Amino acid sequence: MSLASDVARAPGDREALARLAADAVARARRAGADEAEALIEHTHAFTVRVHGGAIESLKQSGTLGLGLRVIAGRRVGFVSGNDLRPESLDDLAAHAVALSRYATADEANALPTPDEAGTGDAPDLELDDPAIAALAPERRIEMALTLERVALAADPRIHRTDGAHVSTHFGDAALANSHGVARAWGASAIRAYVVPLADDRDGKQQSGAYGMVQRQLRDLADLEAIAREAARRAVARIGARPVPTARVPVVLHPDVAGAWIAEMHAAFGGDQHLKGTSWLLGRVGSRIGSELFTLVDDGRMAKGAGSEPWDGEGVATRRNVLVDRGRMAMLLYDTYHAHRAGARSTGSAVRSYAGVPFIGPHTLYVAAGTDSPEAILSRVDRGFYMDDQGSYGFDDVTGDYSYQAQGFWVERGEKRFPVEGVTVASNSLDMLDRIVAVGSDLEFESSIASPTLLIGEMTISGS
Amino acid sequence: MTASAQAPAHDLPLVSPELVTELLELARAQGGEFAEVYAERGVHSGLALEENRLRHAQYSVHQGVGVRVIAGEQTGYAYADGFDPGDLREAARVAARIARGASAGARPPAFRVVDAPPPFVLHEPAPLTLETEAKADMLQRANAAARGHDARVHEVSASMADSSRRFLVANSDGVWAEDTMFLARLTVSVVAADGQVRQHGLATGGGSVEARYFTAERPPESIALDAATSAVTLLAAREPDAGSWPVVVAPGWGGVMVHECFGHSMEGDGIRKHSSIRATQRGQLVAAPCVTIVDSGRVPFSRGSFRVDDEGTPAQRTVLVQDGILVGYMWDVLNARLANERPTGNGRRASYREFPLCRMTNTWIEPGPHAPGELIASVDRGLYCKHLAGGSVNPADGNFSFQVTEAWRIERGRLTEPVRNATLTGNGNDAMLKIDAVANDLVIDGTTGSCGKDGQWKPVGVGQPTVRFTGITVGGTRT
Repeated sequence: MSLASDVARAPGDREALARLAADAVARARRAGADEAEALIEHTHAFTVRVHGGAIESLKQSGTLGLGLRVIAGRRVGFVSGNDLRPESLDDLAAHAVALSRYATADEANALPTPDEAGTGDAPDLELDDPAIAALAPERRIEMALTLERVALAADPRIHRTDGAHVSTHFGDAALANSHGVARAWGASAIRAYVVPLADDRDGKQQSGAYGMVQRQLRDLADLEAIAREAARRAVARIGARPVPTARVPVVLHPDVAGAWIAEMHAAFGGDQHLKGTSWLLGRVGSRIGSELFTLVDDGRMAKGAGSEPWDGEGVATRRNVLVDRGRMAMLLYDTYHAHRAGARSTGSAVRSYAGVPFIGPHTLYVAAGTDSPEAILSRVDRGFYMDDQGSYGFDDVTGDYSYQAQGFWVERGEKRFPVEGVTVASNSLDMLDRIVAVGSDLEFESSIASPTLLIGEMTISGS
Repeated sequence: MTASAQAPAHDLPLVSPELVTELLELARAQGGEFAEVYAERGVHSGLALEENRLRHAQYSVHQGVGVRVIAGEQTGYAYADGFDPGDLREAARVAARIARGASAGARPPAFRVVDAPPPFVLHEPAPLTLETEAKADMLQRANAAARGHDARVHEVSASMADSSRRFLVANSDGVWAEDTMFLARLTVSVVAADGQVRQHGLATGGGSVEARYFTAERPPESIALDAATSAVTLLAAREPDAGSWPVVVAPGWGGVMVHECFGHSMEGDGIRKHSSIRATQRGQLVAAPCVTIVDSGRVPFSRGSFRVDDEGTPAQRTVLVQDGILVGYMWDVLNARLANERPTGNGRRASYREFPLCRMTNTWIEPGPHAPGELIASVDRGLYCKHLAGGSVNPADGNFSFQVTEAWRIERGRLTEPVRNATLTGNGNDAMLKIDAVANDLVIDGTTGSCGKDGQWKPVGVGQPTVRFTGITVGGTRT
């Protein structure tokens, strides 16, 4: 590994990783594994954070790591590490096989065969942009400084920021298993955000945060536009106050709607249905919400921040429609749970090299509707526009939803004043049923995306 | 040299003093004022049980070295996986570039070994003493105990995770510190079902503990029973009444409120940069006069404790609030240097892949004079929060929220019925001023907490006695 070269990885790196993965699998087989799988990731990252018009920190990293999963006697052992010398690989392999002895033998424990994993090459998903790796460090620093400078200049009530941040990532991955599945792919990403602080009354301050992550440098929005939007968010909160407790229609800003579907995703996992713990238990094939609502988990959306050609077990990813116009269409599986359920993997195993695969989302989004966000707001006679929330408030088992919320009080179709110090609560099944409008404003700024949603009624708890 | 737990005496340093000296010189070769080398070897193991099966057994080893250079207010950081001297030198050269000068790297002074006393000694640390077989058996016993508790227990998952982290930190001021830390945690998650109603309960045990903790103090069965009891209790729970109510929070983990609502705003980075409103409040009343708040890395057997922090500063006890008055902040090396303060042992990092941040260790509210029952008996209508899940705060604007997984309705001074899925919200600016009574039953929970900041997760302890707030907004669907 060379930390000195901040430019593109060496040509042939991916092939070298593939050889290393195949070698690790062979060593695991020699150590006594019936089946073995190796995932190796080699990533480069560069992060600049600026504050007060100067660099606060620069961080450069290069990471090479291996995860080795073995099955011996239908029992699973897993090891990971970053020492990839041959003698260390032998130690890790022996350790994995020894550990598997403690796990329960289970017929469903098997790695995907080439037939299960899918044959054929992956299409070019445009996940890897050489322009990101080629971006000079000075340019990345200047980008972060620009974000902060424009945010500070955007409004006289903004005197400080909590920093601006630009980071780039690129890397390669190789996966091999003892059934002959062999994959290698690469991906890049650039992330930029800024957090302006606006003065509020009584020495209080309000924060706005905005940014995005993109696979392609050219898809990153204009930096000045990002900074101005962040500043707009901070200033708009000045004077925020609670409102009285009420049951009213609630408009979910795309960020808030996105956070909801991210929490919702686990309830579509085949694992939760086998365990009987999902709040969507027994609902496959039936209507669970408004016909306006379609939810898609797409591993192969071009340029998707959550897209990858192969999942964490080397299975071909695909476009999974979880909810089709209000009807729950399917469950998601990795290989183990697919074997348990008599189904096929949906390419939904996610992981890093350092962990075992689990069922998770790729690029997850709500399909766009037809109403503009302005048209949606104009439909609200008296209600709440929720554009920010706390981190905790979702119950995986019941689908209950109860979050600290920030946003605006709405009357006669217009935002009247900023609101904080309230919570918004409902149950996800009620919310799905009460979706009365889906916006046309679907933008992909992270691996989770949603347009604006209007929920017919939720409970605001306040003063 | 002592360690917070016994380490084999024959262990050589992770990186030799000669190489560390060379790296520190390289790191300051472009004029950086301060350089630091942090080497670490972390070993984690884990076992997971669900649906009556041990799904897999895991093990990982990660090791490497991070080099930090400070020039003015600027930090340069690079790391290398492993201990290859060539990779380490390259990391030092990359980190050095934060400074743009050309002065030759000065040789650091002779190293002074930090020999602070350990806050506690582990003779038989759980991660070293417990065999995989024993851990697997603990999970099976937890599973059986939870399932045996009540016929409505529907699914049980249990996991055991333990780790050891050996590190060396040395810097251009001549500090040389080494330590080894051990953590273990057993988590049991139970879903109970009754017809179409399903509810969830969670309980954990652990900390920086010896193997006998899981036999003498907190056997797997007792953790499992707590999780199962909570899940079954919640089957009969009602939705919370939305509105602002007096709230009494149970001792122990409830201290997550003081951590989020107050602690984060007292960390030296926000103080030095004036992004925290607390920066100008030293000497002012920031909490009710009955409230004293402490951060200390020296709580026995807690996840948040250590002998020296990840910058080599000895752990210490720091009083943040005395009788309601703000008296002290928490400092790491960088922010203390820039603010002309002394480091308080709050410089912490998730691993060698990250540079240290100013972080809490174990943070709690000191006990008051009241019996816990008194705090409930005088509430006419309110909420008693028995189990909180997570909480979060936006330090810039103070908005906080906590998810309360098990609460009880208080009516005329008595706990009457269980309440599920309540969310508490408010503003950290005034939350500690709303405390009107503090009981005498302090519990510091060092078993399970992890705090996230700037993407780095770090084990912490939180604590409080039973505490009453005059009015907190409670989220719910009933109006």
